[in-house]
Parts: sequence; C-alpha cells; structure tokens
Amino acid sequence: MEKKGISFGKRPGNPMIKRVWKDIWRDRKRYFMILLMLVSTIGFVSGMYVANNSMLGTLEENVTQLKRESGHFQLSEKADAETLSAIATGELADVVAIYRERAYSEAEDEIKKAVDEALEEEVDSQVRSAITEQVEKAVDEQLEAAKKMGQPVSDEVRQSAIDDALETAMSENYDKAYKDAIKEAEDSEEYIKAIDEAREKAHEEIDRKIDEKYTELADRYGLDEKFDAVPVTVYELFYKDVEEKKSSGAEESTIRVYPQRKDVDLYDLLKGRAPENGDEIIIDRMHADNAKIKLGDKISAGNAEFEVVGLAAFVDYSALYESNTDTMFDSLTFDIAMTTDEGFERIRGNTRANYAYTYNRAPADEYEEKEMADHFLKALITQVAASDNEELEIKDYVPAYANQAMTFAENDMGKDKAMGGVLLYILTAVLAFIFAVTISTTLEKESSVIGTLRASGYTKGELLRYYMSAPLMVVIVAAIIGNILGYTLFKGVIVDMYYSSYSLPAYKTIWTPEAFVKTTIVPIVLMLIINFVVIVRTLKLSPLRFLRNDLKRSKRKKAMRLPKWKFFGRFRMRVFLQNIPNYLMLFVGITFVMLLLSMAVGMPETLSYYQDNMGDSMFAKDQIILSTTEDDDGVTITTDNAEAERFSMTALERKDDNYNEEITVCGVEKNSRYIKLSRGYYENADDNSVYISQAYADKYNVRKGDTIVLSEKYEHKEYSWKVYDIYDYTAGITVFMPNESFNRVFEKDEKDFSGYMSNSKITDIDEEYIANEITEEDMLKIARQLDQSMGAYMVYFQYVCIIVAAIILYLLTKIIIEKNERAISMTKILGYDNKEIASLYLIPTAIVVFVSEFITIYLGFKLMNFFWKIMMMSMSGWFEFIMPFSGYVKEFVMVFAAYLIITVIDFLRIRRIPKVLALKNAE
Amino acid sequence: MSEKERKFLSVSGLKKSFGNGDTKQDVLKGLDFTVAKGEFCVLLGPSGSGKSTLLNILGGIDSADAGEIYIDGDKLEDMDEKGLTRYRRKHLGYVFQMYNLIPNLNVKENIETGAYLSDKPLDIDELLKILGLYEHRHKLPNQLSGGQQQRVSIGRAIVKNPDILLCDEPTGALDYTTSKEILQLIEEVNQKYGNTVIMVTHNEAIKEMADHVIKLRDGKIRHDIVNTQKTAAADLEW
Repeated sequence: MEKKGISFGKRPGNPMIKRVWKDIWRDRKRYFMILLMLVSTIGFVSGMYVANNSMLGTLEENVTQLKRESGHFQLSEKADAETLSAIATGELADVVAIYRERAYSEAEDEIKKAVDEALEEEVDSQVRSAITEQVEKAVDEQLEAAKKMGQPVSDEVRQSAIDDALETAMSENYDKAYKDAIKEAEDSEEYIKAIDEAREKAHEEIDRKIDEKYTELADRYGLDEKFDAVPVTVYELFYKDVEEKKSSGAEESTIRVYPQRKDVDLYDLLKGRAPENGDEIIIDRMHADNAKIKLGDKISAGNAEFEVVGLAAFVDYSALYESNTDTMFDSLTFDIAMTTDEGFERIRGNTRANYAYTYNRAPADEYEEKEMADHFLKALITQVAASDNEELEIKDYVPAYANQAMTFAENDMGKDKAMGGVLLYILTAVLAFIFAVTISTTLEKESSVIGTLRASGYTKGELLRYYMSAPLMVVIVAAIIGNILGYTLFKGVIVDMYYSSYSLPAYKTIWTPEAFVKTTIVPIVLMLIINFVVIVRTLKLSPLRFLRNDLKRSKRKKAMRLPKWKFFGRFRMRVFLQNIPNYLMLFVGITFVMLLLSMAVGMPETLSYYQDNMGDSMFAKDQIILSTTEDDDGVTITTDNAEAERFSMTALERKDDNYNEEITVCGVEKNSRYIKLSRGYYENADDNSVYISQAYADKYNVRKGDTIVLSEKYEHKEYSWKVYDIYDYTAGITVFMPNESFNRVFEKDEKDFSGYMSNSKITDIDEEYIANEITEEDMLKIARQLDQSMGAYMVYFQYVCIIVAAIILYLLTKIIIEKNERAISMTKILGYDNKEIASLYLIPTAIVVFVSEFITIYLGFKLMNFFWKIMMMSMSGWFEFIMPFSGYVKEFVMVFAAYLIITVIDFLRIRRIPKVLALKNAE
Repeated sequence: MSEKERKFLSVSGLKKSFGNGDTKQDVLKGLDFTVAKGEFCVLLGPSGSGKSTLLNILGGIDSADAGEIYIDGDKLEDMDEKGLTRYRRKHLGYVFQMYNLIPNLNVKENIETGAYLSDKPLDIDELLKILGLYEHRHKLPNQLSGGQQQRVSIGRAIVKNPDILLCDEPTGALDYTTSKEILQLIEEVNQKYGNTVIMVTHNEAIKEMADHVIKLRDGKIRHDIVNTQKTAAADLEW
C-alpha cells in the first residue's frame, strides 16, 4: 500500500561500521597507546618465539649433524682397550664371578705356596739324609780297608773324613738330587691331592664370604633389577683444564683444551678456520666475546702459547658449564678450545680420561633415554669394577639429558618462552580490561543513543559487534604489526640476547606457527572474551534503561552518607566512590607493573649483593682438591703454606621427584680455623649427626633436629643423618662433619683427606696433582653470569616498566576525567578555577596511586619471591631474592614519577574542557 | 477503510504500575482504545498522566502488567525479546524529546542508521530535501541547531518508512517557531508517507492538528475524540 510519489532508495551499508573508524580516529591517542603497548609486547614475544624456535630447531639439527654425544664418562685414568670394548657392549659384567675369580686366583698362589713350602722342607730333609747315608757308607768302607792294612782309625778321624766327604757330596750332588726329588714329588699323586684339598678348602671359604656379601654387591650395582644391554660406541674425548691468559691482558680463565675432534661432538665454526698445526687453536665464540679475544690473538693455555684461528660453538657446550654440578655456567672465565693432537701434547697438565659415547640405537623418547642412561651406567660401573686395572674408577658420568652444558640453553629458552607468554597474556588482559572499562564508560556516555537505536530496532548483536569492533581491530592490527616486527626487528634483538649468554651455532629462521597462534589468536580471543562479557552485561539492560541513562546495576538510589568533612574532601570522596571500578583496574595495573619492577630492580640488587658478599662467605679464599693424596713416590702431598688445613669433600645427591640436587659433604678438621663447628658438637656428636649450611636449610626448609637422607650418585647407597645444627654458610648446599666421621662413614683410611684450604694462595702443589681449585671467582660465577646475561637488560626493563606504568595510568585517568567532563565544565561555569578543579579530580587519583603503590610494592615483592623460589628449585644451589629498602624506594619513585608525568597531561586535559560543554545538549 | 485498517492498533484493558507494596503506583489503570491506519493520533495529558509509559509499551520497550495490544493483527504480549526487537525494526520509528543523535556521524550518516534497518528505505537524498537538511547533510550534530537536530532525528525514524511513528514530546525542547516547523514536518510526513503517527504531548494546542485525540489523566482515558476539523500545523497558536 505504497503511496504514490514516494521514492525509495537502496539499503545503505551498516553506518555503524563507518562509525568504528570515526570512533578510532576520535580516540586516536588512547588507541595509539594501547596499540603501542600491544605491538611492542606482541612483537617482543613473537620475536622471542621465532628466535627460540629457530635456535632450538638449529640446536636439534646439530645434534645429529654435529654428532653430539649421548653422554660422557670420565675415568680416573686411561682405560685399556679391553675394558673399553667391554664397556661398549653395554652389558653388565658378572661382578660376582669376577670377584670370585680374583679371590680364587689370589688364593691359588697362597695354596701353592703353602703346599710347596711343606714339600720343599720334606724333600730337603729326605735328600740330605740320603746323601749323608751314602757318604757315611763310602767313608766306612774306606776306613775298613785301611784298618785291614793296619792303619788305626780314631773316631775323630772318621768324623772328620765324613764331614769333608759330606761337604763335597752336598755341593756336588744336592741340587740335582733335590731337583729330581722335587720333580718326582710334584708328579706324585699325593702332592696333587694335597694341592686339591687345600684349594677346595680355600674356595669354600671364599664362596662362603662372597655369598655373605652378595646382597651388598647386588644392591650396590643393582644386579637384581631389570636390565637391558645398552650397546654404545665409545670415543676418547680427553682434555686438559689449564689456565688461559690473553697475552696482552691479565684476565685469567680456565681453558679446557681438547685435541682434534673427529668423530663425535663436532663444532660449528662461526669465524676463522680449524687449527692446522700445533700452534693453532680454536676457542668458544661466547668466551672470546666476553674476554675480548679476536681472531689472530695469541693466548696461552697453561705453558703453551697458541694463535686463535677460529671461533666456534661446540655442540656439547651451548652453555659453558665447567662442571655439571656448577650452579651456573660461566662464559667469562671458562673457555672451551680445540687444537691439533700435536698442540694438545704441548700443553703440560693433567689429562682427563674423558670418554664420550653414543647409543648404537637411538632412544625413542626422553623416558627411554633416561632408562638407557640408567642401564648404561650400571654396565659402566660393573665393567669398570671388572677391569683388570683394579685402580680404575669412575670420576664422572653425565648422560646428555642431564648435561647442563647441553640442556641449559634449551631449557632457558623454553622458560623464556613460557615467561614471555605469561607476560603477554597478563598485559593483554590488563589492556583488555582497560578497553572494557573504556567501553563501559562509552556505553554510559552514549546511553541514550543506544536506547534510541535499540528502540528503533537495532539488535543487541548489532550493537555488540559494533562496540567489539574497535578493540578487535586494534588487537588485530597490533598482532599483524607485532608479528612482522617479531620476525624482523625483535627476532634479532632476542637472538642477540641469546648470543650474549650462550655459545650458540649459526641459526636459520624457521617459520613458527606457534608464535602466530600464541601472539595473535590468544590475545585476540582474550580481548574478545573480556570485552564480550562487559558489553553483553550492559547491553542486557532494557532500551528504556538506556534511554533513561540508568545503567547502574545496583539499585542504590540514595547517596552514601559521608562524614562531616569540608566540602572539598567530600567532593573528592564522591569522585573516588564514583570511580571505584576504575581505581580497581588501576590497582591491578600497578600490581602488574610492580611485579615487573620487582624483577627489574630486585635482580640486579640481588646479584650485586651476592657479588659483594659471596667472597666473605667462602670458608677459605683458596681451596684445592687433590686428584691423589700421594705423589708418584708414594709420599703424602703436603704444603708449606702455614694457614693451610686439610679437609675432605665428596658429593652426594638429594633425590627428589623434580630435581636431584648434588650436595657437597665436607669433612672438617677438629678446631678448624675456617669452618667453626661448635665444640659441643665435636665432643658429643657421633657419625649420625651433622651440620648443614644455612642455604640447605633455607632451600629445603630443614630445621635443627630434622633428618636428612642423601644418596650416592652412582650407587644405590643411602645415608641418613640428624641435623645437629645449622652452619651460617649461604654460598652452597653443604653438609659438614668432622673429618674422622667422614672417613668412617665413607669407608676411607683413617688419615684420608681430599685437599687443602687456606686464606692465602697455595702455590707449592704440583698442578699434576690438583683436581680442582675453588676460588672466590668460582663462587661468584652464578651472580656474575646472571649479571652478564641479564643485568644489562634489567636497566632497560626498568624504563619499560615506567613506560608501561605511565600508559596504564594515562588510559585510566583519561577515563576518569572523560566521565566527569560535563561536571568539570559545570564547575568551571560555577567559577572554580583550573587549580581547584584539578585538586578535586586529580587528588583522589593521586591518593589511590600512592596507597596502591605501598600495597603493590609489597605484593610485587611477594609474587616475585614466589617465582624466584620456583626458579631456584629447578636449579642447583640457592640464593635468596633480596630487595633492599633502597630498592623499594626506587620502585616507588619510578611509578610515582610516571604518575606525575601523567598528572601534568591530565591537568592540561582539564584545562582544555570548554565551559559550554555543560550547557550543550546531551550529544 | 476496512475494519482491519480501522483497528490497526487496538489496546484493551491495559494496566501498568511501578514499585510494589506501599510504594506501588498505578500508572495506567485499564486503557481501551483503537487507532486507525494512517491516523495522526495525539496522546494528551499533564505530566505523570502515564502517556509516555503508554507510548513505551506501544513501542515494545516497556511491558504492561495486564491487557492486550494488537498491532496490524500481531499480539505484542506474545512476542519475546527478539520478537519485539524485530517488531520495532520492521514497524516502528521513534522520535524523542532529546534527539539522541550519534555525535560523530554526520547528518546523512545518522539518517543511514535508520535506513540500514529497512530492506526498502526511502531515498535518503529526497528525504533530506523534505527535511530541509540537504545542505547540511555533511555536518555533525553539534554543528546544528536544536530544530535541525530534531529534523535529523525525525529523518532517522522515518527513513525506514515505518508503519507507526512514535513521537515522545518531539517539540518539548524547542521554541515556538521551531516547534511549529517540526510539527509541520511530522504532518507532512504523515500525509506523504501515510504512516500512523502517535505523538505524546502536554501541549493542548497540538490536538487541533490531530485526527484522533486521546486525553489521559491519572492513568485513565478521559476523552477519546475523533477530530473532524483538523487545523493545519502552520495555523496552530499557543
């Protein structure tokens, strides 16, 4: 029933879409801030994922390409070929049989000796009496003939004649007769029978003893457990640890030099070439960077000088761990190097009999790898025990999966990824909430428009889509730009960061779908959900409520009664009450910033605290562990250093589901000047009670009187001790006991010891006998390395935190002022000046920021402490997260400074609000 | 005019109260009336008489406690929320005392927000000319006078060519001359497009231009008059 003369048009496109662009343009500052934050976080995290994945991919590829070992073990000395091939079979040696055989063969000598001694005595007397009898008979016959011829023979003459003849006969006939007799006797049945009887008796005794000890042996070597042979290929990978010196500088490091690597654990040459003669060497690229060693530089390794011809990343050292038990790697004072075999010979120093092995059949997964490593260890232990060289001992055994030098970098990158992801999500959530609060304010502001649109027939879905558009667009644009930056700019930044911590090979960029999903899909979904919930909650209200500007959920009609403050105070209180949701957001935002700041400020503080105090907390400035306590001539190694004191040291393991930590057990001399255990302890304590270090007590929550259980690393042997007291030592997880107890507990000789410690450097012990030297430098490793790889970033991170704080404050205070624009305009009309208005609207925020800061500084510290503990639990050693008072002040000032900048902006914003605004229509 | 067209809108036994217990206030106390198709109907009454509430109920943005409303044969009470939104989208145009324009859309775009809701909207340019806004079509609402803004708001409501145009005190915020201009416009729209117009006002003078006047007081209909001698909006005086 159309009327004539009406012309119809086409249905236009959704005008609300046009409006989205206009909205974004109108609020460009806010959107820009949010975009900036999202782009930088998404970019950074995406860069981290890409760098991580590319690097991890390359590392993984190198495992096969550069023939990385499946593990290595170190023996006390070079093993013979037979032992090595026995080890390579991966079979258990029949230790019981070998023990038996050894005992038998030892017994065999004894038996033969005993029987032979008896036989010899017997034969000797028989031969002697036979000869004597013969001689007497011959002499008597001669004398009888003489008597017949009339010569008188006295008894003396006879005796003298016999003696003379006997002497001659003995010297002429005894040996032959004795030999013949012995030969005859040995062939006799009696002799064989005697030997057999004696042997039988001895074997019975040995069998009885071995049976008695079987349980102990089976337990120690795990002989009764399930076992599958793990055949491996064993490679000699000997090295020498010597002092490295740059010819020009005085920087001292330890350099671990290997001879030419050919078949296992190869390297990626990043610069230069491989060594070609005995004067050339290649060293680790990371250490070279840190120690400022360049190609062509001369360095000395111990006594020998080399020219650096190449910088490399060794596949078995992506993190420069000197020992697998070190708390932290150390690329500053530890170096890996390779020269030719000839060059290796030139270096004087203790050659470590280190062997790498590879499984002949690769494990299917990490569980199988662990099982294989366990089985191979058993095989190794038994084969070493079974070796002909009874002195041969295992010094070290590290399967690849447990080798920090290989796994730390990978794990750390993994952790970075997880951390980055969490940061991204927290920040996205904070931003999404800011968006939501913004939108919620917009909804309030546009309440009547929304009411009109709803009344005209716009559906909730249409309005929802419209209000969701801007946040979505911003996050999508941010994700696109962020990902582009991630693949270009940030990837480089992160990779540089990794290169400055780890000895990594050259990498190839790998397209990383994970990065895309986590940095794009997740933030978008997060933004979607949070905004969806807020908008839907509001849009649920009826159009009429929108038309009436009545969007308050609570039905509280009456204003809250306020105490009888002055007008300004009450006004501010009203502003505060009106903005509680915004202030809550502000609080969450500041908590987030404070957590980040806690890390940014606390980390360097903690590290510098430990750098300053670690030296003081060492027992003695110099500690030397000997490889043997006797020199080549069997004389006990001593030192003339007057302050030196003997101590014992061994390592046990504290087993845990998550992480097995190596614990140092220290045997201390009575009345030690370096480790002062109480006198009462020496007098009263038995072998079952020990001191533990403060660090031990802190990390594992152990108290005086508790019982600790530690186990041998490579054997199934457990020790349990009662904690006598806590020793104030925070630099290591250590157990202390008197040296005598130590020797009894670990079944050592009464006078045994491991090394010397002294406050002055011990210089008179030949390097050949030194297994390890612990100096202050070693203790500082962890702090220094963390400082080196993270310290510099922490300062930047502090600035980032201030910026994040400023942006969050900017966004939230903007909302508060926008909400009150008309009221502010009205107060201007009423005659309030800008300062008064600012004091009304800005002081409540200042107070909230101030109070929030106090609470969140503490909250941030607590949160950080919590994360720190988790981190420490997954690595060896312990140090507490420390935040000095000055650190809190710094955090406070930083955030407040950010607030002050924003306040200036807010003040300008208030000044710009026109008076006519209040008089205008609601549009 | 057929019976159906005469009873285009029919209301019977309509009741509405606010609050409960002691504070319960009956706003509409049982209303019965019909409005014919294309009729210009004025709901007249002092403030608090329930006329706006009635309009909101007719517009499907408020609900009655009792009674029935039929519009073009559809029963309003049977519709769920989605159904009501569809009903408003298809059949209704709304004009309020406050113009409620979208501040960052220009005149034409604001009208487009209405056009978007219809499958067959009026030609916007022609409408702009009728509204006298063609020259201002690129301006933002805050560049317009109150009367011009109300024209935009009428344009937004009318562009989808609704069956019913609901106007809640459309001249309430305007001066005498502008008010008259707006009333003329509504009259013109009613005549040109044939929409049924229901206008709430407390201005007695406006009843002169209506086909049908319903006077409310205290929630009851006091008069239900068909005006056979309409005065043109331009000739109204108050």
